[in-house]
Amino acid sequence: MSWLRNPWGKPRFLVAVTTLYVVWSVIPVLIAVVFSFNNGRSRSVWQGFSLRWINGDPNTSLFHDPALVRAMEQSFKLAALAMVIATPLGVALAIGLQRWRGRGGTAANVLMLIPLVTPELVMGVGLFLIFTRLFGFIGRGTWAQAIGQVTFSISYVVVIVRGRLASIGKEYEEAAADLGAPPFQVLRRVLMPLLGPAIFSSLIVVFALSIDDFVITQWLSFDQTTETVPVKIYSSARTAPLPSLNALASVMVVVTLASLALAYVVYNRFARNQGEAADIGTIGGGL
Amino acid sequence: MADGGGGVKVVGLTKRFGTVAAVDGIDIDMPSGEFFSMVGPSGCGKTTTLRMIAGFERPDEGQILLDGVDVAHVPPHRRSVNTVFQSYALFPHLTVGENVAFGMRYQKVPKVDIRRRVAEVLALVQLKGYEERRTTQLSGGQQQRVALARAIILNPKVLLLDEPLGALDARLRKDLQVELKTLQQELGITFVYVTHDQEEALTMSDRLAVMNGGKVEQVGTPQEVYDAPETRFVAEFLGVSNVLEGVCDGRGGITVGSFGLIAGAGALRESGTLRAVIRPERVVVEATGTSGPNRLPGMIERVVFVGSTSDIRVRLATGELVRSLVANGGAAAISYEQGTPVSVLLPVEGLRILHS
Repeated sequence: MSWLRNPWGKPRFLVAVTTLYVVWSVIPVLIAVVFSFNNGRSRSVWQGFSLRWINGDPNTSLFHDPALVRAMEQSFKLAALAMVIATPLGVALAIGLQRWRGRGGTAANVLMLIPLVTPELVMGVGLFLIFTRLFGFIGRGTWAQAIGQVTFSISYVVVIVRGRLASIGKEYEEAAADLGAPPFQVLRRVLMPLLGPAIFSSLIVVFALSIDDFVITQWLSFDQTTETVPVKIYSSARTAPLPSLNALASVMVVVTLASLALAYVVYNRFARNQGEAADIGTIGGGL
Repeated sequence: MADGGGGVKVVGLTKRFGTVAAVDGIDIDMPSGEFFSMVGPSGCGKTTTLRMIAGFERPDEGQILLDGVDVAHVPPHRRSVNTVFQSYALFPHLTVGENVAFGMRYQKVPKVDIRRRVAEVLALVQLKGYEERRTTQLSGGQQQRVALARAIILNPKVLLLDEPLGALDARLRKDLQVELKTLQQELGITFVYVTHDQEEALTMSDRLAVMNGGKVEQVGTPQEVYDAPETRFVAEFLGVSNVLEGVCDGRGGITVGSFGLIAGAGALRESGTLRAVIRPERVVVEATGTSGPNRLPGMIERVVFVGSTSDIRVRLATGELVRSLVANGGAAAISYEQGTPVSVLLPVEGLRILHS
């Protein structure tokens, strides 16, 4: 065991734990992806490679099953709505909380964290009641789902952006004001560019949260037309699942990885422009 | 150009953070065209005062008169003062040229003129042709110059500098001290300079305010403040001072222990238990037994070599420690060695009684 303890050598113990963790977390995803290429109806017995569940089969493949295509469309539609609504609101809220501290600031601070710690089921039920009883004119469906997702993802945006605001400090804003820039110009010419990486991280996080969300989206879905990918997978899994469902999951994995890759590229550009050390880990911001 | 305005006067200025008064009702007059320093230990209120003049902090009480107009409640972007920050605060997403031109947009200057002015000002701070560089590629001294250029391009009446040389190494500091002073004289604008470095304040300022605990201890020219400190704090903060406590007779005589001394400056008319100060460079260490007025017996406790001078610490028979700075290289009258009994002369003109 002495090789494990050598304080001058590589931290082998940490390497071992990390490797184990990575392998363990990737295996289930890998299994799901592999069986989306199975040449047979089984989702557990390998019967050879085929693309029939992706696009090959004219009736049951992922891209030929209207229900699955609709689920994908709904997922991306909701993700886009959540990103476009939650990010600007969250950024505004973060700036407000961090910079213009006044009465009600502390209360807003605590309120902001509630969605992060509330069980999602509780929020789901609450939102369900709101949209069925209080705001019946909205009702369940796409808009209710989008508003529901925005409600909890805003908290993450606020946490990320506030972290960045705290780290850049007030001095740049003071300098801009000192040079004659009125408040709105300070926001536009200095604060927004400096918040670029945090805003971008927020977009990615909101996208991931939205794509992943099950509980709230499920509570607020109206019928089959407003089922997202996770909801669809869940409801189909209880009937007679085909590997096309695995194919659906695989597509989601690919899309998520692609968005992460895009995030990495864009973030690096931001970081280079601002002369900061680029690290994909900081994309998560305060998370 | 000194008549171009830029006089700053603060009256009864107070700023509290919670229950603590960071700045406690201070009055300072900084005339137009002067290089004025505020010096003091950290937490003395100098930076808070500067930030109030800039407009980043709102005073709780008092006035800030800029050329006679109270601007205490005018937001920073409408004040004709500019600031050089301690950390420079150069915008990292902009180039050097864009940083310097930042404030020009709010002065309604045609684009062509902006480019020409930026080039001029960069040349003035010896950064000719640096427009396209990223600020993060510059050294500390160069960043400091960009921060300076960004402020002076706007022709402020008053330039506020918050420890602008604080982050630089000793040699660069010395060079930039001279440059800043020269620049101030060329531009003829008022510089309000904050530093905790007493040497910097003494060498650069026309006048300075020594601050402590949110209050102004003394205002004057460097020579006045150094030679004629009014309080013990000022005496000790501006270089080492020897402080002796004794009973004064109201005619310049002071009795320290059982020894009578004569002081030549300060509060000569006051009597009772008071303090007297004398600068180490005024103290003379002589061979033991030397007779005459204002001499006290003692023994050398330590000798510290500090390059061009030696710092000789003598324990007096009265128990106090007195330090004497002696130039090295000259023919020493006596040998300065630990344990040598000596006589210490505190010249009349150097001994100063402080107000109670």
